[in-house]
Order: sequence, then C-alpha cells, then structure tokens
Amino acid sequence: MSGRFKYSLFFLVLIAASVWLAVFSYPAPKLNIIACNVGQGDAFLVQYKSTQILVDGGPGKSVLDCLSKYMPFWDRRIEVVILTHPQKDHYMGLVGVFQNYKVENFIATPLDASAQEWGVLKSLVGSKGVNVINPNSDMVMRLGLIHLDILWPSSAFLASEGKPPNENRAILSGSASDSALRRVSLYRNGVLGTLTSKKDPNEFSILAILSYKDFNALFTGDIGGPQIDQIISSGKVRDVDYLKVPHHGSKNGLTSKLLEASTPEVAVISAGKNNSYGHPHKEVLDILNSFKIKTVRTDDKGDIELITDGETWFIKSSRDK
Amino acid sequence: MRYFFWPLVLIILALRFYFFFNIPQPYNDGDKIRISSRVTSEPIRYQTSQYLKLKGLKIYLPLYPEIHYNDFVVIEGEVAEDSLKKPKLVSFQEDRSFLANLRKSLQMIFQKSLPQPHAALIAGVTIGSKANLGSDFWEALKATGTAHVVVASGMNVTLVAKFIVTILFLFLKRRRAIILASIAIWSYAALAGFDAPIVRASIMGSLAFVAQELGRLNAAVRTLLISSWLMLMLKPEWVFDLGFILSFVATLSLILFDSRVKSKLGFIPSIIREDLSTSLSAQIGVAPILFVTFGQFNILSPVINALVLWTIVPITIIGMIGGILGLIFEPLGKAVLLLSYPLTSWFIWIVQIFS
Repeated sequence: MSGRFKYSLFFLVLIAASVWLAVFSYPAPKLNIIACNVGQGDAFLVQYKSTQILVDGGPGKSVLDCLSKYMPFWDRRIEVVILTHPQKDHYMGLVGVFQNYKVENFIATPLDASAQEWGVLKSLVGSKGVNVINPNSDMVMRLGLIHLDILWPSSAFLASEGKPPNENRAILSGSASDSALRRVSLYRNGVLGTLTSKKDPNEFSILAILSYKDFNALFTGDIGGPQIDQIISSGKVRDVDYLKVPHHGSKNGLTSKLLEASTPEVAVISAGKNNSYGHPHKEVLDILNSFKIKTVRTDDKGDIELITDGETWFIKSSRDK
Repeated sequence: MRYFFWPLVLIILALRFYFFFNIPQPYNDGDKIRISSRVTSEPIRYQTSQYLKLKGLKIYLPLYPEIHYNDFVVIEGEVAEDSLKKPKLVSFQEDRSFLANLRKSLQMIFQKSLPQPHAALIAGVTIGSKANLGSDFWEALKATGTAHVVVASGMNVTLVAKFIVTILFLFLKRRRAIILASIAIWSYAALAGFDAPIVRASIMGSLAFVAQELGRLNAAVRTLLISSWLMLMLKPEWVFDLGFILSFVATLSLILFDSRVKSKLGFIPSIIREDLSTSLSAQIGVAPILFVTFGQFNILSPVINALVLWTIVPITIIGMIGGILGLIFEPLGKAVLLLSYPLTSWFIWIVQIFS
C-alpha cells in the first residue's frame, strides 16, 4: 500500500470518527441538573441541549472534570455563570472555568473579597469581556426555555449596604417595559468587587428559582436563617421540585420554614467527605427527614444528575451501580 | 588511547557527581528562610494547590496565581526536612519572553479546544507539559505503564522524527529528508518553549537519529553516549530525572533493537508494522525503568503500550499543527484539534479499562 494512500485514508477516517463522535455526544432535549462532586464546596451545572448555566465553581479544579464529563466535547461555551457569593469554596474553580471556556454572562453581586485568588478571578473576568450582571430580586431572566427568577439579594438589602438599585434598570427602561421577563443578555453594566461590607458574605448569597416548563429548582448558595425569613416574607418563594440545601447542610442554613414555603420533592446537599465543619449537620438531616423529602448528598453519591422533561424527573448518580 | 577514553569519561563524570551532590544542606529544620529563584520546572497543579521544588525543598502553594516554568518567585517559609512549611508567595515575576508566551499560548489553546483530560493529554504528548493532568489520570497512566508518553522523552521526539522522514521520503531524497526532519525537531523544541526536558530529548533524539540514518550502529550509540555525557556534566541533577533517563533509554533501545524487531514482525500487516516495531523496541529498555520508578508493574503494560502508542504520532502532529494554526486564527486551530478527539478518547478509554 502506498504511503500517500495510507496517510490520506487515516486522515479521512479521523474526520469521519470526529463527526460521528460529535453527533453522538449531542445532548437529548431534556434539562439536566448536575450537582458536581467537587468536595467541600458547591458547583451545579444546568444543561439543556448545548445551553449551560453553571452555579458556583467549587473549591478547585474538579469542576473542570465535571464540565468535561457532562458537556459535549465540542461545546466550549457556557452561557451563564452564577457566583452566589465570593467565598473560595464557591469561586476558586471558576478561575479555571473562565480560562478554559468562553463564558458569555456572569451573574454576581458587587460584593468584594480580600483573597489573592479573588483578584485573579476579577482581572480574568475583566480581560475576557464577559457581560457582568449584578442581580437583584426585581429581575426575571430568560435563557432559551430556561427562566431564572432572582429572589435575593433584594434591592432594599443592597441599598442598606450602600449599593443603590442600580445601573441595570437604567439600561432596561429604554426597552420593552410591560413584561418583567427579559433575555439574560439584556441585563448589562454590572460590576465586580465595588462593595465592601462588614456582614458575612453568606448573607449576600444569590437565591434563584430556575424553571423549565413545569419543573422548578431553587438554588440557595450559603444563605442563612434570618435572610430566609426576609425572602419568605417577600412572598417570592414558591413551590419547587428541587432544592439545593443552603450552606452544604449547615445548621445555620436550612430552616423548616423554607421547606414549608418551597415544598421540594428532592433536596441535594453538596459537601465534602469527612469535611472539617461536620457538614451536613444532623439537625438539617433531621428536618429533611421529618418532612419526608428525598435527600441526596454528593459526599455519598458523587455527581448527582437530575434529568427532567419539564414534567417528570429522575435522578442518577456517579456512584450508584 | 581507545582503551583509555571511555574509563576516563566515566571517571570525570563520577568526580563531577561527587562534588555536585556532596554539598551539605545549608539550612536546618525550623529555619525561617526566603527563597528567591527562577522556577526550574513546570509546577504540578493539584485540585487546590500547585507543587514546585526549589533549592531541593518541596513547596505547596495555593492554586492561584498560577506559577509557570522560568517565572521568578520570592517565597518565604519554614524548613521542615525536605519541604517548606507555611509557604507564602511574597512576589513573583512572570517570564514574559517570546518562547515562554508561546508555550503558555499553546497550552491555553489546547485547554480551550478540548475537555479534560483530553486537553491535558495532548499538552503532555506534544509539549511535554504534565501540569494539568490531574492526579486520577496520572495514577491511571502510571498503573498502565503509559506515563512515559507525557514525560517529554526522546521517544516522542524520535517517533515524530521517524514519521516526518517517512512522509518526506515520499517526496525527497533520504539525506535531504533527514536534514528537514532535524529542522522539524528543532522547530518543535522551540515551539515547546525550549523547556529543558524537550531540549535534551531533541538533542538525544536528533543526534542519535541522524547518526543512525547516516552512519553505522556504533556511531549512533557513541553519539548518544557523548551527548548524554555532556548534558550530565552541565546538569548533574538530571541523573535522577525520569524524563532524562527515559529519553536516554528509549533512544538507546531504538538504535539497538528497532531493525531486529522489525525483521521479526514480517507477519504483521505493513500498515502498522513500522509503528509497532518502533514502540516495541523502545519498550524493551523503557519497561524496566518504569517498573523501578513507579513501583507498579503491569504485566499487560507492553500490550497496553502497543494498543495506544500508535496514537502518539498523530496526536503530536495534530497538536502541533492545531496549536500553530490556533496562534494565528483560534477557531481554525480549534477545528483541527477536534480531530485529535477520537485518538485521545481511544487512548484514555484503553488506559481507564486497564487501570
């Protein structure tokens, strides 16, 4: 066999193989929510076809393994990254995400942090021309078929911290004003790290209900009891199917009031195996148990994947065989 | 003269080692010290930390800011045996030279084009960077005896050079093809940022290769020995460096065994005979070294290597072409790099099955 023929044939086979792999890796038209097993921290990947929303990045590089595993190999674009609040166990992994993926929108509060790594993330986001959005509880966003309803922080809370509610609305007043629901990319002009506060960063955690057809998921960051009461009294918490248990299952997070208001069917806890905080705390597991809510933990099950067509859902995880 | 030459060479080398390694440790346990130094090899990045070795001390720093090969760092900490405890990065200055930027840009293009561990594999194979491999995949490579493909070794260089000569030989005279292949090897070393492991692999690979192609077997062996000797005189610490040892052994076994192995493989279809004999003959020397260093001996290692080694040349070629195109026009480079996905998938799949 001639050399030229051999190498051309090899080249053609390679092209064919790449195309077939790309076709087979195209995700089914269902919504997936993956609680990535990133150890002691949070990283949740929401995926519908080739649209991704990443909620937090975990404490290190393992979020990249999770993205690599669940995203199609040719998709190097993440439409939305949400950072609930600037603490290392939520943002460290995002540095690698911004380095390796094209991120279009970054939803984060203007709250600053002092760590060296936070500086790295801020300058990285600045240099990549990512659209930064500072959320507040007046915002409802749409990304394809996915809706994102921001519950916290409220404009009043941010205003009390010296952050007037804010540039985002000024931009919007020009566009259609009758509907509250807007495309994510219409929100603009957010900033990072302009707000310093004596309060615990956890209190600034972004709460959002993500919905796809009739399926609703509540993401809660590291929010604590007092803020939960405020959010519930605002009347924005509604019935959901999926709850990310606040603060890795700390007893300073979940309250029975939150469960009464949100009535989830499944609760997911993201915590590291044998972590030094003792998360998830027994108190929280007891509350969940008393409400008879199905509870799954990343320290126990690895990556936890929920798949839904918008009505029914099921769960599988990387460690059940 | 003939009888004195090699013993003399050995004695000189032994003296060099003696004076190099006999320097007493300059600090004691508990000493608070400040190290100002260039980083001598690419730090290894773990989940939440990066590891580097400076002045014989192991140092674990937070993951960010990322430190790279040849950056200048100032680190303070406390000596505890062979490591530096409570290290604090006081300041660091990035190496912004053209070649360093090239190497970093290539790594970035790989990472932006492919998911993990595919991107790490292609970076390891093409430019010898094992920084982002991740501990799971690294363990799997070690367990299957395939770790040598990502430790920049003379083997990759020789495999690629052989391939280039074969291709050029279709169009050119042998001698001209060899000259062009040597130029290709050195452009490749330049692209990899003249990282030390790549340079020595290129020196050994190209010298031995050229000697083998142009002259007799003995000439090739002698060229390899002399060039390795020169390198050890300049950098005695390389004698413990796995990349160096593997470069040396792989090249030596290729020179000694390649033609013999090939003649025994007559029953293999010609389409893979060349690649198979190259990888098998390199394995003769490499396998025992891997066994000693990684302490893991996989009886199936030669089989696994035979299954995956054919992907190394196309991965390297695609990585180089895709990387260069990516520097000029990123989307084009990404498109080319996606072609390596079936190959890296095969490699990773085999490694994971057997580990």
